[in-house]
This record gives sequence, structure tokens and C-alpha cells, in this order.
Amino acid sequence: MPFVSSRRILVIALGGAALLSALPQSFQTPWSGTLAGVLWAPLVPGASVLAWARDWVRAPAEPYQGLPEELRAAREDRDRLQGELDATQMRVEELERELGELSGYRPADRAGWQPRLATVIERGAGRPAGLLGIDVGTAQGIGEGDPVVVGGNQIIGMIAAGGAENRSWVIPLDDRRCGRIDAIVLTGAADGASAASEGTGAGGKKADKSDKARNGGGASVLVQLVPQGNRRLIGELESPANVKKGDSVLLSDAGWRPAALGMQIGVVESVGALDANPLRRRITVRMESDPLRVPRVVVKVRVPGQGQGARGTGAPK
Amino acid sequence: MRWWVFIPVLALVLTMDAAFMPACSIGGHVPQLWPLLLAFVALYASRGSALWAAMMVGVWLDAMHPALDTSGATPRAVTVFGPHILACAAGAWCVLETRTWLYRRNVLTVAFSTFNCALLASLAYVAIAGIRSAYADSSPLWGDGSGGAAVGSDMVDALYSAVIAILPAWGLQSSLTVWGFATAGPRFAGGNRMNRGND
Repeated sequence: MPFVSSRRILVIALGGAALLSALPQSFQTPWSGTLAGVLWAPLVPGASVLAWARDWVRAPAEPYQGLPEELRAAREDRDRLQGELDATQMRVEELERELGELSGYRPADRAGWQPRLATVIERGAGRPAGLLGIDVGTAQGIGEGDPVVVGGNQIIGMIAAGGAENRSWVIPLDDRRCGRIDAIVLTGAADGASAASEGTGAGGKKADKSDKARNGGGASVLVQLVPQGNRRLIGELESPANVKKGDSVLLSDAGWRPAALGMQIGVVESVGALDANPLRRRITVRMESDPLRVPRVVVKVRVPGQGQGARGTGAPK
Repeated sequence: MRWWVFIPVLALVLTMDAAFMPACSIGGHVPQLWPLLLAFVALYASRGSALWAAMMVGVWLDAMHPALDTSGATPRAVTVFGPHILACAAGAWCVLETRTWLYRRNVLTVAFSTFNCALLASLAYVAIAGIRSAYADSSPLWGDGSGGAAVGSDMVDALYSAVIAILPAWGLQSSLTVWGFATAGPRFAGGNRMNRGND
């Protein structure tokens, strides 16, 4: 190939690559996403087939594995409803606070959401690491900041800005670049969960952990979590807070979409002393689902003009 | 080198890296096949062809791995072309420099070169990302953690990729005649290369 053998063109091309590498992102933003979409497009069909093969070779870590399909669907539906209930309760508490303070009535955010089922077609091998590629994009209504969940109410991340028509990027919740996350710990729930799960199988134990919110009746403790990677987030608590291992942790961050509020981040894995500050304690939260091993996710797409929790008739995809 | 062979194989390899290879992950470390393809090409193709192939691999890797711009309210996935191109060129260059003293027909040589290629590409990528993070990026391109940790993790990935590469390397070696490499003739000598127009 004559052009390939030209050393001068090769040097110019390498120089161009060095120049592109040196320029700030803003110089490439207007066109690089489109070019990446064009380059990726021919690989999409093969990637979808291979993603199926991957899940066949190595069973993905889906919630409630091992349970019959009907029971699994019922539990996921229950978790989804639980998530909506938690979100509504948070909203009610917020409204009560506002009314109590008489600080002026703020209309409720009536933006609802609809589920969009998506297949994970790319995972974060290589650099930069961590992002998940899914096969839905702006053409399906996916927007930046939309929460991504599995198993009804287990939040695993959010949609990053800069997606394409049929492709989006998910930032896992345990990625530091997700930033600090405000959450609440539902205390006194672990005991109820463990009691409720006695006599059930492994899947049932995991499933019944989400019963804590409705059975526990404990208080909620605010905490700010910092993602640490590897499915873990850490936070600091006041010492008197009665947080125990197994307590459920829900997202309660005003910076996230309303559809994300009340979704379950994970469970408290450990509570330990904080040497630097004896009046505070450090908790480690472990996500129940591994973002790097989920085959399918549901994106809660914002639908303006509908009530919170007003869902469509089913996953449109 | 026959580009009409290389490009479909590259597409297959990148698709497998993106969609299938996570099935082989151990402890969060995922093997990758692109270093194998690049090392194989760099072992046999002419210097110019190997570097062009490296740049092509780099363009696709840049397209497949967007960086995350965290300066805004919502983190933004931004594709940055360039770092992987240079990183792959560095990986290919490493193999080009070492191939003269390697016995290329052995699959273990291909695996060894795969490790070299992946490791040097990682070092180059982290170096470029480190320089960029000083003035251009809100968070380093390599993702979480320090650059040293990223290189350490990539070293394990490179080792794992080299181990996984042994079997496909055997397949690639078997298909050597299909690729039309200038330096892969049955009795290659420097003078033979002058008569090969398919490089």
C-alpha cells in the first residue's frame, strides 16, 4: 500500500496524534463523540452476540439468582414498589419540613419516569476503566443523570452526559468520579431482616434484606458516602448513631434525579471506630449488585409531566 | 501486510475485548486481545505497517474508552482521541525493537511480546494521562486511584493477557501465510524483502 509505506505521512500522523493528546477535551468534544459513535457502530451487532455468549459462559450476577422465575419477578416487583414507597416517604418528610418551617411552598417535582431495559454491551476493561456501555441512548430518551437500577430498586449508577443515539455510558456508583453521595441508613432493620430470612434459602436471605425498611421501624441516619471502588462506599457517622452491620442504605441526594431517591445503594458491611475523630465512626457500605457483572439494567428515564412513580405499562424496549 | 485481513480481525478482537473477555475476569482483572494482535503484527510486519496498525488500534480504543469529565454538574463521557494512539504506537515500537533477538515462530514469543506490548502501552498511556491531568483534565484519564496503582493493575492485566494469548497466538501463527507479511517468508533474508510489494 503506497500511502502506508510513506514514512513522512506516518510521522505527520503520529505528530497529529500527539497534538490531539495534548489538547484539552473541549477541543475534541464537538466531534469526537460522533466519530466514536461511527467507529463503534460496526461493532455493535457482534458485541450484542458476544455479550450473550459472555453471559452464557459465565453466569452474570443477577439479583435473586437461583429462584424460580415467577418468584424472582415478584421479588423484583416488590423491591421496586418498596423503592417507590421509600422515595415517597422521603418526599413527604421533606414537605413536612418545609411546611413546618413555613419557608414558602415549593411545588412538588412531578416529573415521573419510565423504565428502559438495556443490555450491557461493554465493560470497563482497559483505560479509562469503570464505565459500562449500554445499548440505549438519546433515541430512547436516555438523558444525562438518569439513574440505572437492577432488581427493582438496587441503584448501580447514573448515566453520564455525552452519550450517542443508541449508546450510553453508565458511571458505576462505586466510582469515585460519581462524587460524594448523600444517603440515609435505615437503622434497626438488620435484625428484622435476619429474622425474616430465617428458614429461606440463600436467595431468600438476600431477598429479605430489603424487608428491613418496612419491618424495622427504626430511625434513619443521614450519611455522606464516598465511593471507593470494588462495590464499596465509605462514610462517617456520629458515634451515637445506632447503625449496625446489615442495615440498609438508601440514596437521598438532592443532586440526583427524583427517580433515584429511595433506591437502595447497598447494606452496611462494617462499622468501625475512626481513629482521627473518636466522636465519629466510619461505615463501609457494600453494593448488593456488582456493576461489572450485571448483564441487563433498567434506566429510569425521565418523563416530564407525569407524577412521580407514574410508570408506563411496561418496559418499552 | 494485507489490510483486508487485518481490519476484520481487528474488529473481531475489539468486539471480543468489549463484550466477551469480561467473562474471563479474575479478581477484577480482565485479559485483552488487542495487545496480542498488535504484538503479532509488530513481530512480522514491516516497521511502517506495524506502526500504522498500532495507530488504527489506538483510534478504536480511544473511541471505545471515553474519559469522564467531572467538571460539570453531571459527569460527562468525553471521547479523547490521541492517548491510546500514542500508547499503542509505543507498544508496537517495543515489539519492533525486540523482535530481532526473538524466535518469532514460537507461540511463547508471541505471548511474551503481548506482555511487552501491553505493558509499554499502559506506561505510555498513564504517562500521557498524567501530563494531561496537570493542565487539561479534571480527573486523570486512567480513572480511579494513583497512576502507580493504574500501572500496577495494568501489569497484572498484561500478564493475564499474555497467558490467555497463548492459544489464539497459536491460531494466528497457523494463519501466517494469509497475512502476507513481508518478513514471514519460508526463508526470509533481508534482500528478499525488496521484491515484496504487498507490504
